Amino acid sequence: MRPILLQGHERSLTQIKYNKDGDLLFSTSKDKVVCAWYSVNGERVGTYGGHTGALWTVDVDPTTTILATGSADNTIRLWDVRTGKELKMWEFQTAIKRVEFSEDGTLLLAVTEKRSGHLGTVVVFPITVDVEAEQVDKPSFTITFHESKATVAAWSYLNKYIITGHEDGRVSQYDVKTGELIKDVQAHELDMQITDIQMAPDRTYFVTCSKDKTAKILDVNELKVLKTYVTDTPLNTAAITPKKDFVILGGGQEARDVTTTSQRQGKFEARFYHKIFEDEIGRVKGHFGPLNTVRFPPLLFPSITSV
Amino acid sequence: MAPHREDGYDDDEEIDFSDLREQYEVQLDEGLDTFVVVDGCPKVPADSRPKLIKFLCKRLTEVGHISQDSVFMPLNEETNMTEGYAFVEYDTPDQALLACKQLNGMALDKKHTVYINKLTDIEHFGREGRIKEEYVEPEIEPFVEQEHLRSWLSDINSRDQFIMYRGENVGVFWNKKKDVPEPVVDRAGWTESFVQWSPQGTFLTSVHGQGVQLWGGPGWKRIMRFAHPMVNLVDFSPNEKYLVTWSNKPISIPENPPPNFPLGSDEDGKSFIIWDIKTGNLLRSFTSVEVTGDRDAELFEKSRKKVSWPVFKWSSDDKYVARVVPEQSIQVFETPSMLLLGKKAIKIEGVVDFEWSPSIPTAEKGKKEPAQLFCYWTPEMNNQTARVGLMSIPSKEIIRTRNLVNVSDCKLHWQSEGKYLCVKVDRHTKTKKSMYTSLEFFRVKEKNIPVEIVELKQVVINFAWEPKGDRFVFITVDEAIQGAQVAPKTSVHFYAPEKIKNGIGEFCLVKTVEKKNSNAIYWSPKGRFALIATVHSQQSFDLEFWDLDFEGEKQKQDKASKNKDLAANLMLMGTSEHYGLTDVEWDPTGRYVATSASMWKHAMENGYHLWDFKGTLLREEHIDKFKQFLWRPRPLIMLSKEEQKQIRKNLREYSKQFDEEDQFEAEVANKEVLEARKRQLDEWRAWRARIEKEVRWE
Amino acid sequence: EEHEDTLARRTIIEKKKEAAESALLKREKEEAQLRQIRAEEARAAEAARAAEQQKKREMERMKQEQEKIRKEELKKQLDELSLDAKIDVENLEDLDSNQLRAMKLAQLEKEKREMAEKLRITGKRIDHLERAFRREEVNVLPKDFER
Repeated sequence: MRPILLQGHERSLTQIKYNKDGDLLFSTSKDKVVCAWYSVNGERVGTYGGHTGALWTVDVDPTTTILATGSADNTIRLWDVRTGKELKMWEFQTAIKRVEFSEDGTLLLAVTEKRSGHLGTVVVFPITVDVEAEQVDKPSFTITFHESKATVAAWSYLNKYIITGHEDGRVSQYDVKTGELIKDVQAHELDMQITDIQMAPDRTYFVTCSKDKTAKILDVNELKVLKTYVTDTPLNTAAITPKKDFVILGGGQEARDVTTTSQRQGKFEARFYHKIFEDEIGRVKGHFGPLNTVRFPPLLFPSITSV
Repeated sequence: MAPHREDGYDDDEEIDFSDLREQYEVQLDEGLDTFVVVDGCPKVPADSRPKLIKFLCKRLTEVGHISQDSVFMPLNEETNMTEGYAFVEYDTPDQALLACKQLNGMALDKKHTVYINKLTDIEHFGREGRIKEEYVEPEIEPFVEQEHLRSWLSDINSRDQFIMYRGENVGVFWNKKKDVPEPVVDRAGWTESFVQWSPQGTFLTSVHGQGVQLWGGPGWKRIMRFAHPMVNLVDFSPNEKYLVTWSNKPISIPENPPPNFPLGSDEDGKSFIIWDIKTGNLLRSFTSVEVTGDRDAELFEKSRKKVSWPVFKWSSDDKYVARVVPEQSIQVFETPSMLLLGKKAIKIEGVVDFEWSPSIPTAEKGKKEPAQLFCYWTPEMNNQTARVGLMSIPSKEIIRTRNLVNVSDCKLHWQSEGKYLCVKVDRHTKTKKSMYTSLEFFRVKEKNIPVEIVELKQVVINFAWEPKGDRFVFITVDEAIQGAQVAPKTSVHFYAPEKIKNGIGEFCLVKTVEKKNSNAIYWSPKGRFALIATVHSQQSFDLEFWDLDFEGEKQKQDKASKNKDLAANLMLMGTSEHYGLTDVEWDPTGRYVATSASMWKHAMENGYHLWDFKGTLLREEHIDKFKQFLWRPRPLIMLSKEEQKQIRKNLREYSKQFDEEDQFEAEVANKEVLEARKRQLDEWRAWRARIEKEVRWE
Repeated sequence: EEHEDTLARRTIIEKKKEAAESALLKREKEEAQLRQIRAEEARAAEAARAAEQQKKREMERMKQEQEKIRKEELKKQLDELSLDAKIDVENLEDLDSNQLRAMKLAQLEKEKREMAEKLRITGKRIDHLERAFRREEVNVLPKDFER
């Protein structure tokens, strides 16, 4: 297996996503640019320019028609995947940390940041998957977090729930119809931020990871912790493989926390665990900084990790 | 019932329940059995209390209904923190009972496990506990206590224990080789600065601001407390009879001490206390010896800076304890009276240091008392040469002296049985421009104590005798190159005696390994194997595992000793590295060795590695805030020489049995792993099947 | 007239003689030159041949020397290896350095294996002895407590 290095961003990456067919890869970075790549050879297809702040998040609808991005410039933008044309812009009071299309592409959720005077929220917009269509201006509903803010969020199967991961280590389950809290568990250690949430392909369970150095699999209905993966480093990202029973975890000491700048110290390896047995299987070295985001293409074999 | 405060340093600190008790006593019939006590909660500041209560409620409602109002979580008024426990009222007694049964021992998170008991039970057992404290303690007979204290020796699997101190937790574990160590006990906040085993492993010492505590027995109960405010260091007598504590801050007794103040006015201004371990009695306290350095101000400064521990040194039979008054005398005290032997110190002008012989004294013919031996040295002064002397106690007779010139420093190394004394003499050339070392070997058990000399061109930085053996290893350092960035290279030298008839031949070089970075020697406590390491270095972390009695073909030895038959067959069994290595500890049997990286030295990859004697890595764990790894020492073997011989003879029989046991265990373990995996897989598949069905239905 | 004729004839004869002589001389000279050239050629050829021979001998000697050195080197290496299998030193022609390296590796591998096996046995004995002592010691523990 030979790694393909996609070089194009000038600052650290924040999120990567495959489209449903797995032929395209979208990446966001603090350098304010969204990139699209051919996943088969790593060639850059194009960029989506317009954001005026660091980008935090990206997602593409299941038909690869519309791309959604969220940024520190306090906007969510929709783009025509093919032409790169900006289709819509929603403005908020704070940065957008996560966007995700529902399974059918008809809903988009976004996590907004908490800042003095503004509570963290999750907003949901109905989407018309057509580049010609006029999109709504206002979200259909907003979930506001009075206690600990959400850091990540994802859709369950059949758009049943929104699952949120919080700064204090909790995982919550919200009713999509009413926006009300149904369940709430302290899945990770108290006050250890949840850094990533990724659904299994059928969206009946998901993996979360946290600064508490563990990753866990929970089911979407009961929020029961099914599996726990223990590592020795704060985690930034966790992914479930679509085929075979693995999870991949990534993280490492933040540059500012590393006492000496040696690579050995940072533990910047991608770690493979057996999904069911919870055992570590192996590590892939080669990164020079903490891993920020790991993704699996829907069915192709190559996996992507990024710094 | 859950232990309320496992650390239990001070019973007076325990919460006084008496008022609560009284209050509840009358209400006993009024449905107190819907109450449970939840212990082991996190201790949080007052403003986080509602959040914790809310969180706790969520977990506790799994077995019954409670409202947030029915949780009472007391606050410590002094610290404004919660106390770590809560009283909770369920709707019905059944729910409360269910909570005790199902939720007791539930993990709130990684660090906190809650213990749930019925309030009425706390009442019940609490009372019993009080009675125990009042009546049972004085009845404990010494031999009962003993049985408890050595129970770990009877482990049927013949395993050894070790302690790990990491973060705030101190835990004792059984060594399971490559498998996860089996916890024996693990307590948060067991010690405030470090832990230490007593020399035969009977007691575990914890060190606190108020003094030290000894723990032991199968229940890891507190055996004894020794109050010494601001204590820094602890030392035991070899047979665990006595304890020395030291604080760099002299004890100050308040003018009007509170009624329970543990120390009397005699202790005012003292830095050392010697205790009787069995009774807990203070035997005598001492001030630090002030060096009256009118002769040599430089020496005075040097000795003040250098804290060499232990200061009070014990004879091998615990009969005497002695310390040096630098440049003047050696004070030898008799136990348990702690009075000076012969009522006065032994005057030895200029004396710098001394060491007791570790040999077990036997009464010589014609003498009443068994004699002990110590060696000492005095530097060059007033046109006199430096001198090493051996003195017999109690006679105070000097039985051997040796004069030395051009001496910068001496270090005294006794072989573990007192057979030999090696004096490492660091010397300077006449111009004082360069340094070199000579090793002077006193063959103490031979007639007239002959001295053998190994003269070297370099300086020896480390020397170590093989325990119970006749061989030694030392490390020399090459001369530093002026202006060089890297530290000078070192050489490791292995020596063994020549094989001769009737006795021990001359010490000869077996091999020198040059151009190394090694700086430390760790002999297996049983001898034969030596681990040569580079510790406390920023660049190298080498480990070399040597065998001095390799059972294969005879290996080449140094040219100078080519034609001699030496009592060694040296072989490098394995080499490895442990990044960040700071400490090395052999297990008491010499079968395993642990290397660790302690946060006390640096923050890089703290944790430990476990190896076998030949350098195979069995296990490695990175543990945040790892501080100490200490094997539990064992007392001397209790079998007679004859019994041991018999066992050696029949080893084949035992071996067969052990092979069978090991094989069986391995099979069971394999089976367990397989079964656990199968269970996990089945569970996962069952869950997937169920969820898939549900989703399809939806 | 006759005289003149005679004289003339004589002169002619003289001239012819002279011419014949000079021709002879010339021929002789030419022949001598030719001979000299041939001789020189022969000498050069001989010298070349000798040089060739010399070179060939030198080469031969060098080759022998090299072979000797190689053999010695091999022998030395073999000695160092202290191989268990005896090798006919005279038949070293068949051995090249690759083969030797392979042998060396195999030898090292074997030594490593042997050492590992020796140490495994040692380790087992130490472990079993320790356990045997402890198993017996458990029986005397109660006595020790009573002391």
